[in-house]
Amino acid sequence: MIEVKNLSGGYSADDPIVKGLNFDIQQGEFFGLLGPNGSGKTTLFKLITGTLPLTSGEILLDNTSLFSLSKLEKARKIAVLTQESHVSFDFTVEEIVSLGRYAFQKGILKSLSKHDKNIINDVMELANVTKYRFKQFRLLSGGEKQRVLLAKALAQEPLLLLLDEPTNHLDIKHSLYMLDLLKEWQRTKQLTIFSILHDINIAALYADRIALLHEGTFLDIGEVEVLRKKDQLNKLYEVDIRTQSHPKVPKPQILMTPRNEVSVTRMELGKAYQMKQNDDFIHLEFDQPLRTISNGVIGEGIQWVKHYCNFHVDKNYDCSSPKDELEGWMRDNGIPPEQAVGMMTAVQLKYAVVRTAKIENIQFITVVTAGVGNAVDISQEGDYEREYKIGTINTMVFVDAHLTDGALVNACMSATEAKTKALSDLKVKDPFTNTIATSTSTDSLLIGVTQQGEATPYAGSGTFVGKGIGRIVYEATREAIESELKRKI
Amino acid sequence: MQKLSTRKFLNNRVVWLYIFSGGLVLSTILLGLFYSSVTIPIPTILHIIADQTLGLGWMQEVPGNEEAIIWNIRFPRVLLAFFVGASLALAGAAFQGLLRNPLADPYTIGVSSGAALGAVFVIFFQFTIIGLGNFTLPIVSIVCGFLTLMLVFGLVRLSSRSMAIETIILAGIIIGAFLGSIISLIIALGDRDSMMQIIYWLYGSVGMRGWNYVQLIVPFMLAGSFMLIIHYRELNALALGEDAAEHIGVNVKKGKIFILVGASLLTGASVAVSGSIGFVGLVIPHLVRLVTGPNHRHVLPLSMLLGGSFLILADILARTIIAPKELPIGVITALIGAPLFAFLLIRDRVGRGKTR
Repeated sequence: MIEVKNLSGGYSADDPIVKGLNFDIQQGEFFGLLGPNGSGKTTLFKLITGTLPLTSGEILLDNTSLFSLSKLEKARKIAVLTQESHVSFDFTVEEIVSLGRYAFQKGILKSLSKHDKNIINDVMELANVTKYRFKQFRLLSGGEKQRVLLAKALAQEPLLLLLDEPTNHLDIKHSLYMLDLLKEWQRTKQLTIFSILHDINIAALYADRIALLHEGTFLDIGEVEVLRKKDQLNKLYEVDIRTQSHPKVPKPQILMTPRNEVSVTRMELGKAYQMKQNDDFIHLEFDQPLRTISNGVIGEGIQWVKHYCNFHVDKNYDCSSPKDELEGWMRDNGIPPEQAVGMMTAVQLKYAVVRTAKIENIQFITVVTAGVGNAVDISQEGDYEREYKIGTINTMVFVDAHLTDGALVNACMSATEAKTKALSDLKVKDPFTNTIATSTSTDSLLIGVTQQGEATPYAGSGTFVGKGIGRIVYEATREAIESELKRKI
Repeated sequence: MQKLSTRKFLNNRVVWLYIFSGGLVLSTILLGLFYSSVTIPIPTILHIIADQTLGLGWMQEVPGNEEAIIWNIRFPRVLLAFFVGASLALAGAAFQGLLRNPLADPYTIGVSSGAALGAVFVIFFQFTIIGLGNFTLPIVSIVCGFLTLMLVFGLVRLSSRSMAIETIILAGIIIGAFLGSIISLIIALGDRDSMMQIIYWLYGSVGMRGWNYVQLIVPFMLAGSFMLIIHYRELNALALGEDAAEHIGVNVKKGKIFILVGASLLTGASVAVSGSIGFVGLVIPHLVRLVTGPNHRHVLPLSMLLGGSFLILADILARTIIAPKELPIGVITALIGAPLFAFLLIRDRVGRGKTR
């Protein structure tokens, strides 16, 4: 579609801002250009739109040089949308959009044909600006203005759309609306899009291919996966950047770390919390949030959390909407659900086991409630129709360590292995298969870590952290189960 | 349904505006012919005009002096006022559109001063360029006006990279003042007679010019108006800014040259035949825009019609207020135009404040 060969240029010929760029964009592709301020993004853009003269190189559109085309021919193929949205005089929205048909008007009078008018109506409808049709452009909000200018660009029925930070002044609602619209047009009309983007996350979500511009040359060009290369991004932006995956679409998203974000004061894990325990709930509140991985009813996944609670429910609890109910209870007791992990158990909370330990100079805390009425051997074939009796092992573990995401998973393994070992040592059996149980059917686990000190990528049985977790969980679980078994006898 | 009716209303409104403006032109012309110290009945006036233009007179006998007054004195005067007013208003509208600034007009950006200097030169030294004959005055005036415009733009280019509106106005005023002082110098060097002649000419007047002057302005007015009106779409597109206009396919460079040359033709020719008449180019397009909206398709022709009518009315005032003596017409337009413009500016600001 468009092919750029050895392109150089800038404001002066001796000192070009972009140097020897080569790239091509396929038809129907969304090509995103990323780079920090001053990297030459806008210069490259202006070279392509023809606002700045080339020093060397060429730009081919469908194998013909862009500069052999007349202004009118060019405007019938390429439309441009910049972040500039100033329009002099009080033109109405419809008049602005009509300007997009300039290059198509024919005849001596150059008035709008029926075909022109249909297109104008269509693009206004598409950009959702028909309702402002007779309104003055000046009176619109930033997002509305940008949509009007987009409609004007689309009225050119372009093959190629050049965008310069099209969502710069827009809030996320309008940004996404606009980009979704472009994506739609790209898909249905095989529109090719070349866009400068300043938001890496937006680029990752919408661009098919991405070029990283660094001091006038390309650092990398490729599919969105170029944004997963963390070192490259750090070099480009000189900021501590991490990438993560979007939970719903298979695209990377980046996370930035401010330079001065060091932990305020070193937290002494053993002293940095208050615990409240009554018949209804156990609540631990830490002074500072902990990085937490959990499968709690509330606060699942990996988060930073300050409040940890375990609520008692009746044996015959109807668990049709546990999340809403748990949230309600938390609020009733002054616990903010957004900053909390919440679990549920039918076990009487006075039998909860709380342990603290310092192993190899690492502080551990664990809180375990255990009921084994519902014990299951996961390795045996089960009968999923069986009626569950209430009985659950809920485990909270807090460690003064700095774990990566992988190490958090490791820590979960360690805690689970320890629990299973406790069940097996106590010969707790799956009542259905009569074999040694490995867990109960609804166990919950959370690991909270302070993220202080050196980061470690492992927390399995080969590490102090893993060993410590294993030991403390084993002991607490064993004690909790023993007391439950005793009560039953 | 509602959309359709609004659109129809808009169309109707524009049609009505043209009808109104056309009617205004005809009635001001008639008023200009009728209203004077010697009263001649309207049927006689109509007869004389019809007789002279189409040979379709219906009256048997008309006194020779009445015919002379209407045909040789009043009619050229009224027509000249109309042409000058129309030219200045159209040039003003074009400059405003091109520079994207409602404050631009032939005076604020210095074109008039340049044209005036050229005209003063011709009048003072009484020279004719061979081959041009009578057209020496308007052509020198136009060329000087255009050169001044280039000078202003050159100054702006040197002082700032962007063609900022404020800088253009500022440069226009500076160069206008400079050229004005050269005119003063020429006046000071001349004798008393030519001094009076030039000063009075500078104040602006359409009186005592006769058909010669009408002939001088008509070709330039037609050429200039044609050049501007066929570029109405470019003027609309320029409201987006020059880069954006280029992106929708406008050849901005070519369009700008056409518009500048066209507007300079109109301004230069007007100044050459009538001296400096300010505020027509500033106020009239502004008023038109208030009613029609900014679309140059209607702003340009309507500015011409209204500008012409306005200047006929101003001329009637100029020759009746202290009759039998006459006031310079430039004084009248400034007296009406300046406060009106001030009012528009304030109203604009207040109106904007409300909507924001």
